[in-house]
Amino acid sequence: MQKKKVGKQMGEVIVSMKNIVKTFPGVKALDNVNFELRSGEVMALLGENGAGKSTLMKILSGVYTKDGGSMKIFGKEYDNLTPKQAQAAGVAIIHQELNMCRHLSVTENMFLGREKVNGMILKNSEMEAEAADILGQLKIDIDPRQTVGDLPVSKQQMVEIAKALSIHAKILIMDEPTSSLTAKEIDELFRIIRKLKADGCGIVYISHRLEELQAIVDRVTIMRDGQYITDGEFHSMTMDQIIANMVGREIKEQFPRVSCTKGKKIFEVRNLNAGKLVRDINFSLYEGEIVGFAGLMGAGRTETTRAIFGVDPKSNGQIFLDDKEISIQCPMDAIRAGIVLAPEDRKKDGLCTKLSIRHNLALPNLDLLCNAMGVIRGSKEDQLCEEAVRNLLIKTPSVEINAANLSGGNQQKVVVGKWLARNSRVVIFDEPTRGIDVGAKVEIYNLMNKLKQEGIAVMFVSSEMPEVLGIADRVIVMCDGRITGEVMARDTTQNEVLKYATEFEKKQQAS
Amino acid sequence: MKENKQGTFKRLLGTRGMGAVITAFAGLIIIYVAFGIIDRNVFSGQNVMNLLRSMSKYLLIGVGQSYLLITGNIDLSIGSMVGMSAMISATLMTMGIHPMIAIVVALICCLCCGVINGILVGKFKLPPFIATLGTMFVSRGAAYMVNNNRNTDAIATGIGKEAGDRFQNFFYYGKTLGIFNTFWIALILFLVFFFLLSKTRTGRHIYAIGSNVDAAKLSGVNVVNTTIKAYLVSAVCACVVGLILCAQAGMGNMEAGNMYEMYGVAAGVIGGISPLGGTGLLLGTFAGAAVWQTLENGLNMIGAQVGIQRLVIGIIVVFSVLLDVVVRSGNFRKKANS
Repeated sequence: MQKKKVGKQMGEVIVSMKNIVKTFPGVKALDNVNFELRSGEVMALLGENGAGKSTLMKILSGVYTKDGGSMKIFGKEYDNLTPKQAQAAGVAIIHQELNMCRHLSVTENMFLGREKVNGMILKNSEMEAEAADILGQLKIDIDPRQTVGDLPVSKQQMVEIAKALSIHAKILIMDEPTSSLTAKEIDELFRIIRKLKADGCGIVYISHRLEELQAIVDRVTIMRDGQYITDGEFHSMTMDQIIANMVGREIKEQFPRVSCTKGKKIFEVRNLNAGKLVRDINFSLYEGEIVGFAGLMGAGRTETTRAIFGVDPKSNGQIFLDDKEISIQCPMDAIRAGIVLAPEDRKKDGLCTKLSIRHNLALPNLDLLCNAMGVIRGSKEDQLCEEAVRNLLIKTPSVEINAANLSGGNQQKVVVGKWLARNSRVVIFDEPTRGIDVGAKVEIYNLMNKLKQEGIAVMFVSSEMPEVLGIADRVIVMCDGRITGEVMARDTTQNEVLKYATEFEKKQQAS
Repeated sequence: MKENKQGTFKRLLGTRGMGAVITAFAGLIIIYVAFGIIDRNVFSGQNVMNLLRSMSKYLLIGVGQSYLLITGNIDLSIGSMVGMSAMISATLMTMGIHPMIAIVVALICCLCCGVINGILVGKFKLPPFIATLGTMFVSRGAAYMVNNNRNTDAIATGIGKEAGDRFQNFFYYGKTLGIFNTFWIALILFLVFFFLLSKTRTGRHIYAIGSNVDAAKLSGVNVVNTTIKAYLVSAVCACVVGLILCAQAGMGNMEAGNMYEMYGVAAGVIGGISPLGGTGLLLGTFAGAAVWQTLENGLNMIGAQVGIQRLVIGIIVVFSVLLDVVVRSGNFRKKANS
């Protein structure tokens, strides 16, 4: 019935949220926020991390209950929306952190909470057929019987989208949907989004990758610090206006670059091999230089950082620091030698989210903080935390709160901050800006620049081409576990890097 | 038709967790044959009958605990509920009350305990280890209090003799189709709970909340109800085991079922059920319970002392999980290198 209604009138208001208020203990997360979504449009919801976008969308999808204001979905007023009601009303949300039951199959995940039953018995084959049908419509090549945990992240995300479509969602919320997809997969996603748009769905699109909005977005709503700032047609705004509205101040440079003179060689990797995705890796890092590692998802960059840091075993290869060969068998060896890693997955590898900021910052430095008896000296710990918070501009009321309560950007700062007390020689950043907002990104860039100026070798892995080219001095491109190209950032183009990034795959396909 | 059948078979083999089940059954056969070679009596029909009867207790306890392990929780109160069920039913029967009523009362008490566990863990989000530690003491305390801190007299005496005999035969001493009733009861309950877990919506939800409780919640799964249901299953299993123990002893023992919750964990874990939740098949629990009982039985037959028995069983539990971990990490490495 509702589907018909959508079909009849394109562009009618399907979601109307007025003066929404939401308070968490100690924080006013949303303060009189207005939001409107029409059918057949893609609405970008923009704002820095902590601006309240996710909170607003969680209210729309019934995860949180609003404290004040009114919310209408398809003209019907909802006060205490539950996730189930939201689902029934046609709202589906695709989460930033993939929310799947890893142990269950694709079909089981797609039908979770609304299984088809015949009396008491699950109708497995029917559900599988339907799942296969939906995946087929999306042209996604996944066996509906496969266990979700065995799929790569990009495919898991496709399953989440398929899940949303399978409930005939008419309001689709996508929270950072492209953060783990390759260029080809993003094109595929956009094709699907356009199809949904044509079918009269309203899509809320949350993303920090402003450059990709161009391709699909119709209108934008901008939020900052829990408040509604403005909305309007996307094409009537300039990128600078959008950024200024999000950040609340002019960002002078999106990619601040600092020039340094290149010094002596600090770090060298020779013939490193580890598993399938690290093959014959050779490179050096110099003083006063940021080396970017570009490539597509699964090119082996993260695996390389892990092999260097001693997380995964190496099959062979040598690592030199200041022209002396060092042996790294485990992360502790690397840390002692002065090589540190800020890993890709903050929540999984980077932080103990249930511990306080203080404990996180102190964890890798306990050897420096303890006295001879192994007792932690509180004053030293205080000093370390204070310095980290001051130097990195970590926005937090206190270092005693849990790392989980920080926004993404501030979490990233803690991940980096825990290494800075150690006078490291080599700092490896793996996707340090993933999922964090423009303002925090610039702060991370500035931090890398500062390290570079201090003569520390910086290895910077990123899948976002503009930032690699904008921040790194030299760019090494990887594909399929090998280094396929090395270019100076100033003299290259995105196309050239992309050419290297896809080189090996093409050769393989041809042979 | 034939092709279809083959497909079903292949599919069955491909089911998640089937590998661990097959390993457990293989281990069971090896252990059984090994004991049989040492002592031929292990293969005797009499011994097989006894084996089936005594494994029934572990099977039921294992099923109950497996439900909780799959949801990522644990139930420490199972053993105490066994004791409570045995004491309540025995006390009522010695008072001349009809066994049927005694059974119903015992069942209700256990279900109450299960609901409380479920609410504490599901609704109030207490750590299951703590919540059920509490109910473990509470229900053991109840087991003691039922008959004023004393074991009961024999249930099949005086006016209740006939009914008591029937009760004992039904749950322990009688046979149907040549096999002890105890095993039939356990098998029927096993099949019911097997069906519930693998073929119904509730079962699917149990796996889902064990795998990722947030994802399940966001998909509209009622986490509180599902948790309560899982604790109810363990309560039912515990109650029946209590009745079996009562029938076996012919009286109520306050310490009945002591440590059984851990036997349940062992049976599940040997059968490949991950204590971290989300994975495992009840078929594995069946194998696990059988492995456990075969070991105990075999060690008894060859005259091993209790100390040795405990020691061997402990090693087997650790070894079976270790095997699982090694096999799985081996797979992992293969995948990364291929």
